[in-house]
Amino acid sequence: MAKTIEIKNFSYKYPDGTVALSDIDLSIEEGQKVVLIGPNGAGKSTLMLAMAGFATGRGEIIVKGLKIEKKNLKKIRTVIGCCFENPDDQLFMPTLFDDVAFGPLNMGFDTEQVKMRVAQALRTVGMEAMAEKAPHHLSAGQKRAAAIATVLSMSPEIIALDEPDGSLDPRNREKLVGLLKNLSQTLIIATCNMNFAAAIGDRAVLVDKGRIIADGDAKEIMFDTKLMTEYGLERPAMVA
Amino acid sequence: MHSLDARVKFIAAVIFTAVVISLPRTSFAILFCYTVGPFAVLVLGRIPLKFVFKQILLVSPFILVFALSCPLYDKTPVKIAFGPSVFQTTIGWMRCFAICGKFIVTMLALIALVSTTRFSNLLAGLRKMGVPKLLIIQLGFLYRYIFVLIDTAQHLLRARAGRTLRNLGPKQEMKTASAMLGSLFIRSIGTAERINIAMQGRGFNGNWRTILRLKISNNDYIFGVFFVVFIISLYFFASTVLN
Repeated sequence: MAKTIEIKNFSYKYPDGTVALSDIDLSIEEGQKVVLIGPNGAGKSTLMLAMAGFATGRGEIIVKGLKIEKKNLKKIRTVIGCCFENPDDQLFMPTLFDDVAFGPLNMGFDTEQVKMRVAQALRTVGMEAMAEKAPHHLSAGQKRAAAIATVLSMSPEIIALDEPDGSLDPRNREKLVGLLKNLSQTLIIATCNMNFAAAIGDRAVLVDKGRIIADGDAKEIMFDTKLMTEYGLERPAMVA
Repeated sequence: MHSLDARVKFIAAVIFTAVVISLPRTSFAILFCYTVGPFAVLVLGRIPLKFVFKQILLVSPFILVFALSCPLYDKTPVKIAFGPSVFQTTIGWMRCFAICGKFIVTMLALIALVSTTRFSNLLAGLRKMGVPKLLIIQLGFLYRYIFVLIDTAQHLLRARAGRTLRNLGPKQEMKTASAMLGSLFIRSIGTAERINIAMQGRGFNGNWRTILRLKISNNDYIFGVFFVVFIISLYFFASTVLN
């Protein structure tokens, strides 16, 4: 399978000098559902931000054949759609329609095409009836789904989600699992929830202290009790 | 009322407010007639009047301070006739009642506008009427994140209340309050940075693009005609009464 993302010897330091990522080598293939697992502060979110060009450091990241550098950022951001941890940061427009339309409008689509994309994205997440709602009137689960719709409307080939299951009740988490499983795009999900990760991922990358500790089949890694315990994680209870 | 175009309602509210403000301070009876307009909108829009009066009460202290200062600096005596009765009062008190009356009537119009119009539509309407894009963006963000900020502030207050077991005195309370404000400020900066990343992630390059989906319908024209007839009729009625 073709490589969608290729990271070669990538390291990143925060402005205060703290090392966030060290010598990361990782390649993700088209259509894979990759879960980035690891304890809090392991560097999962930073790695995700680096893949979308929001954290530039030493080394090389290539997304769909485009090296992450200033001249390619515009194109890269149409290829990789990012959903951040707090949906309130993602939903900044007065209505859900405007939020979902924000990306396609910036991509230069005309009004009719934008409307079509918005309708399609909202239908995918089951929120077509809520287009005119203000984001602050949505529940936590609805906000999460709406945040995903904001990137779906841009038809990205890769979707990166940071802790998408955070603050969701079991029913909404189940709905989200169903939604993510049905997406055809390459998925990169950063999470600490092993049950959620096991339900979606077919490949797991265990990150700790900014380094990749293990990379391989999701079930093999997550059902390795010794490995999971060593890095402060838990073995998933079951796989959906 | 809710489905009317935001621009029509906004223009009506601005004209109505300007007309009410320009009424002479002695024309209480005419001012009373003007309340019919916003009341009709509120009733047709099914806005609970209890809610309306609560909102008026909430902002009234600001205007009351101003109004109640009038009798203090203008004590010129004046006689006013109310039907067959004649009362002796001062110009200051007249001014005070006029300010309060105009405040209530214009607040009714403002509440009628905001309770029957979605904020997003109001912003879109203002944008279509040529209000600078930057101001519209600022207002949009303010409205969107004021609720997030209030939520965060409430969480902080709750966390403080949960650990405040005795009165620590004004000095310590001030110290705590300033630390909380500082925390709120730092969180706001963090939120702003994350929103900026989210915007860039969706292709934002400093050029704000939105779809303005407003359309003037027949109902808007009907409302406009009613409004113009109402304002003109009251104007002629007022001129006749005042002369």
